[in-house]
Amino acid sequence: MQETNGNQSGQQPARMPSRHHHGAPRQKPEIKNMRQTLQRIWQYMYAKKLLFFLTLFMVVASSTLSLLGPYLLGVTVDHMIADFQTSELTFMLILLGVIFITQSVAVWLQNYWMITIAQETVQTMRNELFYHIQLLPLPFFQRRQSGEVMSRLTNDMENVSRTLNSSVIQLATSVLTLAGTVSIMLWLSPLLTLLTLTIVPLMFWGMKWITNRTGRYFKAQQKDLGDVNGYVEETLSGHHIIKAFSQEERVTAAFHEKNERLRDSGYWAQTYSGFIPKLMNSLNNLSFTIIVGFGAILAVNGLISIGIIVTFTTYARQFTRPLNDLANQYNVVLSAVAGAERVFEIMDEEPEKDDPQAIRVERLHGEVEFQSVDFAYQEGGRTLSNIDFRVDSGQTVALVGPTGAGKTTLVSLLAQFYQPERGRILLDGQDASKIRRSSLRSNMGIVLQDSYLFETTVRENIRYGKLAATDEEVVQAAKAANADDFIQKLPNGYDTILHADGSGISHGQRQLLSIARVMVADPALLILDEATSSIDTITEMKINDAFRQLMKGKTSFVIAHRLNTVKSADMIVVIQSGKITEKGTHQELLKQNGYYASLVQSSSLRANG
Amino acid sequence: MKEIFTYVAKYKAAAVFALFLMAIELVVELIQPVIMAAIIDTGVTQHDIGSIGFWGAVLLGISVLAFASGILNSFFASKVSQGTAYDLRKDVYERIQHFSVTQIQRFAASSLITRLTADVTQIQSLIFMAMRIMLRAPLFIIGGVIMAFTVNVRLALILAAFVPFLLLIMFFLMTKGVKLFGSVQGKIDRLNAIIQENLLGIRLVKAFLRSTFEATRFRKVNHSLMEVNKRALQLMETVMPLVMLGMNTGIIAILWFGSVQMEAGDAQPGEVVAILNYATRILGSFGVFSFLLMNFSRGKASAARITEVLLEQPEERLDKGDQREQKLSGQITFDEVSFRYPKAKQPALMHVSFSVEAGEVVGVIGETGSGKSTLVQLIPGLFPVTLGSIYFDERPIESIGVQQLRRQIGIVPQQAHLFSGTIRENLLWGNEEASNKEIIQAAEDASIHDYIISLPHGYDTVIGQRGINLSGGQKQRLSLARALVREPKILILDDSTSALDANTEAKVLQALRRRSCTVFIIASKISSVKSAEQILLLKHGELEASGPHHELIKQNAYYRTIYQSQSETEVFEHAGNKW
Repeated sequence: MQETNGNQSGQQPARMPSRHHHGAPRQKPEIKNMRQTLQRIWQYMYAKKLLFFLTLFMVVASSTLSLLGPYLLGVTVDHMIADFQTSELTFMLILLGVIFITQSVAVWLQNYWMITIAQETVQTMRNELFYHIQLLPLPFFQRRQSGEVMSRLTNDMENVSRTLNSSVIQLATSVLTLAGTVSIMLWLSPLLTLLTLTIVPLMFWGMKWITNRTGRYFKAQQKDLGDVNGYVEETLSGHHIIKAFSQEERVTAAFHEKNERLRDSGYWAQTYSGFIPKLMNSLNNLSFTIIVGFGAILAVNGLISIGIIVTFTTYARQFTRPLNDLANQYNVVLSAVAGAERVFEIMDEEPEKDDPQAIRVERLHGEVEFQSVDFAYQEGGRTLSNIDFRVDSGQTVALVGPTGAGKTTLVSLLAQFYQPERGRILLDGQDASKIRRSSLRSNMGIVLQDSYLFETTVRENIRYGKLAATDEEVVQAAKAANADDFIQKLPNGYDTILHADGSGISHGQRQLLSIARVMVADPALLILDEATSSIDTITEMKINDAFRQLMKGKTSFVIAHRLNTVKSADMIVVIQSGKITEKGTHQELLKQNGYYASLVQSSSLRANG
Repeated sequence: MKEIFTYVAKYKAAAVFALFLMAIELVVELIQPVIMAAIIDTGVTQHDIGSIGFWGAVLLGISVLAFASGILNSFFASKVSQGTAYDLRKDVYERIQHFSVTQIQRFAASSLITRLTADVTQIQSLIFMAMRIMLRAPLFIIGGVIMAFTVNVRLALILAAFVPFLLLIMFFLMTKGVKLFGSVQGKIDRLNAIIQENLLGIRLVKAFLRSTFEATRFRKVNHSLMEVNKRALQLMETVMPLVMLGMNTGIIAILWFGSVQMEAGDAQPGEVVAILNYATRILGSFGVFSFLLMNFSRGKASAARITEVLLEQPEERLDKGDQREQKLSGQITFDEVSFRYPKAKQPALMHVSFSVEAGEVVGVIGETGSGKSTLVQLIPGLFPVTLGSIYFDERPIESIGVQQLRRQIGIVPQQAHLFSGTIRENLLWGNEEASNKEIIQAAEDASIHDYIISLPHGYDTVIGQRGINLSGGQKQRLSLARALVREPKILILDDSTSALDANTEAKVLQALRRRSCTVFIIASKISSVKSAEQILLLKHGELEASGPHHELIKQNAYYRTIYQSQSETEVFEHAGNKW
């Protein structure tokens, strides 16, 4: 008989781990709560429930017709052999024709509709997941690698999509066909049915024998595959080191060893799994032989007709196929459920939530007060303790201190990216946690150290600060940020598309653009993280000037790396190991003769030495 | 695809055998209906039980034969496919190892990784399939038609008329579908790009309150992906119902003409049954066929991507140099060296000349993009110079074997890249024969020894993906220790002390001075290289000036400007926490 399972010729379980988890091959999917997950998927499909039921109806129709077809075919043959009544034959043929046409139409409709349902469901899920991710608090993104989050939006969703496309129909069809086939066979000839069913225990026994072996070898193969992929990834991304240390021979040898192991485990895994279709095929052949042989003997004795034999051979084929399909689909469904669970896991993450009593604020004045604020990223640890200071509207605060002292954390608390563990942050005398995040952040402008730009035009990148900004405003902001000059010189001016990898414009220019972006938003409060990387002197001057422009009349927090900035600040806050150790103006702190004074001294020493 | 076949050819014997076994299976399946016809026509109609028993036994016998062939085929087929995959991986990997840095950059490491993994696996399963069923479906269709002719020519003609017609429909729809799937892939790439961009810039999205804006942007692309995907899938799903309809029409036609012929006495009932049997089996083969076509087109794409790597000639300069061991002193001369990256418009370095004595410390200063990294990458010959030449102890670089040269150079790149394994294994990268003492000495010089011994497993602590995580500064120091383990005569620090605080930096520099090697330090701050014997000041790829600090500060205005701006804007400390 034809290969019963065309769509899985034995290599199926040897799935490549997806691009995003090299080195960690997907083992047997882990499922926590199958029923609940299926229910949740169903909720998404519910929007298309009418179409879904129509699809199921079509599945019932097409399955019934696929059972009816062979039966009528057998009857027709019997008619032909018994007596040649053309009129009756014509009728039978027309009937067959109608059945075949209806069947094709039903199959087509069921698939067509199911794809619509599946794709729209997946679209909705993906949109929701993406939006949900936007609302998640910052710690979420620090906990997880972006590649991993991305993999859920892509690979896992793709997995769900593929399964919905085909498995629902396949499962329903298989169950229906199986039940229908067995009952028709029983009705046609209980004796032949019984004989056909003798292959079922054989099938189970054979499958068990094979899967016992494949399971073992697939595990080994997955491990070896993971090793090979991991090694490839590691050595190719570190290729410059290998070259510089001229270790090509060594890594090649190590790779060969892993490659060989993979070949050996892969050989057995593939060989054994290759037995499955052959087994199914042979059992099909066997049942064919049984039916024809015994059927013929029964026919000779007049117990059944030849037509029944013809019909039976067709049904017998339809009988092993759904069994096999069911086994295959089960695995596919399991992996999709596991994928869906990974998606829902993210959707169940708590989004950033405002206090229920939080209020909207319009324009803030910019008075900021930290009142004995404590904060820790992890339980038990302590990143900031007892932070206490006050800034008047329009003042500039320079945050100074060694790496890891907690400067960035401090301004992150101000932006409500995190919540203080203890103490309060007051904005215009109002507890920041009682202000809606959206209205708070719309009063705030942030320039990060690495100026992240989006892969779109210069204009759109600036407009990101204020979506409603007119072209005029964008140009104004660019001019104020000293960015207009170089933008004009770009190949397409404001319409030049920037690239994510940073090619096209320099580091300093990127920074000017990110200043322009904040400029267009015109916030009341500013958080600036000065870049440490070396930028050429002229651009540097432009940036400093742009910063000054930006800070005019706004309360500004600057994580400062440059003496100039620090000197001109209204207040300097020195942070060491999460505590404020000194605060005051440049002159005051110099007098205190503490950490700050020594910093200034060492840098001017270096400068003059 | 052609190149892939030459790989399969290595396993010719196994492949031929696998195909032969497949052919046996096929023949068995093709004669089954004939035997069935014989049972009906000779046995049943003539009530001959003996004949039924005989043909029944034959049927059973050939079924067992088919089973045995199928099982054996599995062994040979996986030998061919696994063997080919192994050879492909081996050759591609070796080829990549011989690529120059430029070539790897051109292909992009990430793309090479997918070619070596996903693409090879794709080819492997395609070959396995080919050895087992790929040829089966088309052969079965052809064989089925031929067998039908031997049973009854006129009825077979009807069958033969339908097959090419259906094949045409199928091919037409499939090619359209494959093209559509291509654009689906494009949309997926676009979607991934948006997600990636969004996740990387998530702080910005939050700071600017742009979640709705981002979601709308995503929704648009997601929607167009859905539309194309739907179209592609739905088109593919039309193939089967159409083919089914066509074939079933054929069956009805066979029945009709069969009855006419039987009436005229030109056909036996068994013959009609047999031909019907072929028709239904051919129908089944179409399903497999369309599945195979899809796989084939995917495999073809993978094959093309692999072949591209295999056909790429390694650009690494032919090693004409002297392979004998030769000690370098550390003396280097650049003579009018110019360098242009392949495909770049502007040269990265122009007419750079300088000379360094053995054991000197050389600082390299310049703005981003002035050619600092390029300059030091030319020293171990990672790129060949475009014009001019580089001399080591008066010998041109080309005359020294690549292995010989690189063995005596230690590089500490900007981005410390460590390999998974223990700390010791990583340090031994520099020199496999290094003694324990040498390793510890190197670690001490790199100011990392104390940290290492504070770890629970000391030098045997596992780092990397499966081990502990190190901070940026710790990685840099380990990477420095790794370079020191080689006892290099020339050491290159590519802005690699940036994550160290001033104290540690000074300590490390002192330790380096005790080792008799030439040290190149690329730095963004003049203060890091002030004590160097010589400072190379680069500007737009040209050597603006060179000399010790005290000379440059007097003689060069540009140097002075940088120095002044840096001392004014002196960096208090380095790279803050990432947001």
